[in-house]
Amino acid sequence: MDQRQVVSENYANPITCFFHVLFKAGALAFYILFSLFVKSFVIIFVITVLLAALDFWVVKNVSGRILVGLRWWNEIDDDGNSVWKFECLDGESLARMNKKDSWLFWWTLYLTAAAWIVLGIFSLIRLEADYLLVVGVCLSLSIANIVGFTKCNKDAKKNIQTFAQNALASRVTSSLQSAFGVI
Amino acid sequence: MSHNHGDTIPLHPSSAQSDMDEIESLIHAAPSPATVLPARPPSPTRASIPVSSSPAPSPVPTKPPFPAASIPISVSVSPVPVPASVSVPIGADGFGSPPNTLTEPVWDTIKRDLARIVSNLKLVVFPNPYREDPGKALRDWDLWGPFFFIVFLGLTLSWSASVKKSEVFAVAFAVLAAGAIILTLNVLLLGGHIIFFQSLSLLGYCLFPLDVGALVCMLKDNVILKIVVVTITLAWSSWAAYPFMSAAVNPRRKALALYPVFLMYISVGFLIIAID
Repeated sequence: MDQRQVVSENYANPITCFFHVLFKAGALAFYILFSLFVKSFVIIFVITVLLAALDFWVVKNVSGRILVGLRWWNEIDDDGNSVWKFECLDGESLARMNKKDSWLFWWTLYLTAAAWIVLGIFSLIRLEADYLLVVGVCLSLSIANIVGFTKCNKDAKKNIQTFAQNALASRVTSSLQSAFGVI
Repeated sequence: MSHNHGDTIPLHPSSAQSDMDEIESLIHAAPSPATVLPARPPSPTRASIPVSSSPAPSPVPTKPPFPAASIPISVSVSPVPVPASVSVPIGADGFGSPPNTLTEPVWDTIKRDLARIVSNLKLVVFPNPYREDPGKALRDWDLWGPFFFIVFLGLTLSWSASVKKSEVFAVAFAVLAAGAIILTLNVLLLGGHIIFFQSLSLLGYCLFPLDVGALVCMLKDNVILKIVVVTITLAWSSWAAYPFMSAAVNPRRKALALYPVFLMYISVGFLIIAID
């Protein structure tokens, strides 16, 4: 009991959590600090946007599937239609996911987007169209990940319900069979 | 919207190694669930696991380490038909689950994304094998290539500019990004059949020749040479973009779809020539 409590209170994947937060914090910090102290827009733009793009890729391909067991992407089928693809672990594996990892994952996603919105408002107030361009790109990447993982999460919940229903049906069937002595 | 990253390769080995350590820790963690599973006697749980794990061993050999810890469920959902999502899981199971990407090593993810970018670039640089059926090209679209090319072009132009580097960069980026979006909307409004992000990806990849031209013009400061280089690369970009945009639209409206594309590339060409 004590061991379980101690284990459940720690992050299951501290390194992944670290990189999940690192690139977000790096992009935000770099943008804010360099906007205040360095006036070279090109450097600010390139480094901030590269950090945001790197964060997007890491969240979508690495931390998303390690921290919450979800992954999503979009592809085009043979008929030329755009199709969303979602992958998630099965019900048991999802239930075994660390709650603190999941909490950190979702909250950092939302807080990062909120931070970029606030920075965008500041750029609007100061009528800096070029810095608004930086915020626009970073915000687009953040929102894309939020939308993708939200859809993926809903799809995962449907699968869990289906899994539970199948398990329940199997149990009922086996109970009936044992009751009637068919086995 | 699947975006793949490939333009910051040096940073990934370190994060890949750390994530490999994470996956190795998952491998070490796998035995404990294996010991837990035999302790659970309920038959429905046993009945469901073999069904979902049966496709697992065939696609990727790395799956055996995670037979119980992670069993993937792959579901495809088309954004338009909502009721299709109800029946899709059965279809997905019927087709057999596509190769699992949830438990693959991070390095495999990186390699797949890089391979995709390279193959998309080949379609633009080399003669297009799908010229007769452009819809098949760039089906595996990504926005990393276009992103890198736009930033590279902006950087090249701003380096070439003697004054107002920031304005040059911002204008180049905004013109290209907004231009690609407007061109795609133009095709859609003309009743063309094209996927929004596929079109963005296409227009971005077709910038590659102009990027090369801009680089050459930055190194050589001769106006006549600039005009020749830009003309060649402009023709190349237009030639690469032509089959995609023309096939997407009704033949009678082909000119309406193609003219803005050429106009954008020509304006980029003028931007390259003018800045010195």
